[in-house]
Amino acid sequence: MNDMRIVERKVDTNEVKIAAKDVQVYYGDNHAIKDVSVEIEDKTVTAFIGPSGCGKSTFLRCINRMNDTIDVCRVVGDIMIDGEDIYDPKVDPVQLRAKVGMVFQKPNPFPKSIYDNVAYGPKIHGLAKNKADLDNIVENALRRGAIWDEVKDRLHAPGTGLSGGQQQRLCIARAIATEPEVLLMDEPCSALDPIATAQVEELIDDLRKSYSVVIVTHSMQQAARVSQKTAFFHLGHLVEYGETTTIFTNPVDPRTESYITGRIG
Amino acid sequence: MHDKHIASAFDRDLEAIQAQIMKMGGLVENAILEAAISLETRDEERAEAVRVADKAIDALEETINEEAARVIALRAPAAIDLRVVLSVIKVSANLERIGDYAKNLAKRTGVLSQMEPVNGSAGALRRMAKEVEGMLKDALDAYVARDAELAQDVIDRDIQVDQMYNALFREFLTFMMEDPSNITACMHLHFIAKNIERMGDHVTSIAEQVVYLVTGAIPDEARAKGDKTSLPS
Repeated sequence: MNDMRIVERKVDTNEVKIAAKDVQVYYGDNHAIKDVSVEIEDKTVTAFIGPSGCGKSTFLRCINRMNDTIDVCRVVGDIMIDGEDIYDPKVDPVQLRAKVGMVFQKPNPFPKSIYDNVAYGPKIHGLAKNKADLDNIVENALRRGAIWDEVKDRLHAPGTGLSGGQQQRLCIARAIATEPEVLLMDEPCSALDPIATAQVEELIDDLRKSYSVVIVTHSMQQAARVSQKTAFFHLGHLVEYGETTTIFTNPVDPRTESYITGRIG
Repeated sequence: MHDKHIASAFDRDLEAIQAQIMKMGGLVENAILEAAISLETRDEERAEAVRVADKAIDALEETINEEAARVIALRAPAAIDLRVVLSVIKVSANLERIGDYAKNLAKRTGVLSQMEPVNGSAGALRRMAKEVEGMLKDALDAYVARDAELAQDVIDRDIQVDQMYNALFREFLTFMMEDPSNITACMHLHFIAKNIERMGDHVTSIAEQVVYLVTGAIPDEARAKGDKTSLPS
């Protein structure tokens, strides 16, 4: 029977990219993430869902050590990417963040030209040998960000002059210009209209071929549309993690069911 | 049962749509019994009432389908809510088919009451119809109570209806061989028996929807098949 199913959600690999084990996060006395263990696969879109304050964004930020910038924040437990502990003192967080790109809720292009927005990362990480090489990297990133055709004639116009949806795709292009292996997205579409959202979702599906994408979203429909795996967080716990199809048709945990059917906030 | 939705209008929609199913189920139960009684008592007026009442059943099915489509479009139901919506569509389709069979039974009553009664058959058909009606009642009760066990019990009982049909099939065959002048009446009676047997299958399908609604999985098709008339003897 299996071959008769509509298998659009086929995942090419089952390799684990990010492995978290017994992760605890504290903001001062506040225990924000409790005993989270999860294995996130490569070349897969994983959605984190859950009500506000459930810890999904906090956990996402642990994956590229964005929480390091918050003084009172303390992370305990192991997070490994390709088997390497990212909280090892020898790991340079700046290098880590080149490998683990991030896209935020509000499009936040630098107040620079479109070109410089994308070129910035490759430049500081020394990824381009010369100007022609850099041009190539920028073009490729903008193409992969599905925005090249819209901006190719005005690469030196300010990035902030683009529409919201274009700015967000520019930010995605900027995030992938450094050739990351993991792309973290914290509500990347919440400030976008439905057309721009659809374009970004299409892009996410395309990026899945190369990266492990983790997306935090408040839109359950979006999680259902774009992801292959879904993790449901509630009150700092990872309640359920599994195939997106299962989570949305027949979840195991009653809390997951209550949340996705709109019964608990 | 589940908690209420945060959006209370969603609960009202789902409740309203399930209330329609119950209303439709009541009409269909009544149609089965009335059709069978009209056959046994050769009451053409009563049979006519069953035929007329089928229109209301058909109209309800249409309403339920429209409401279900509206809920899907506007509320994007997931998990248990999605199963509720999918199940009402299927249950209403099954009820509509049962209603059609009852109507057909009532139509044949008109023809049969012009003929000589065939020894004891109308009583046997009424008992068979009563059995199916009882199964339907339990299936609908199981639906309301989200009772997968009761639904499974209904599924298991279908074999009795199948056996009743087998017995009647053989009986009609014998009557026809004994006296060819019985053939017309017996053909009608056989179609009635077959239709009641099919009603049982639709009730079984409703019970399977209850199991699906509660567990998220359709029960296996492994149940025993009682209708053996299609097998070589």
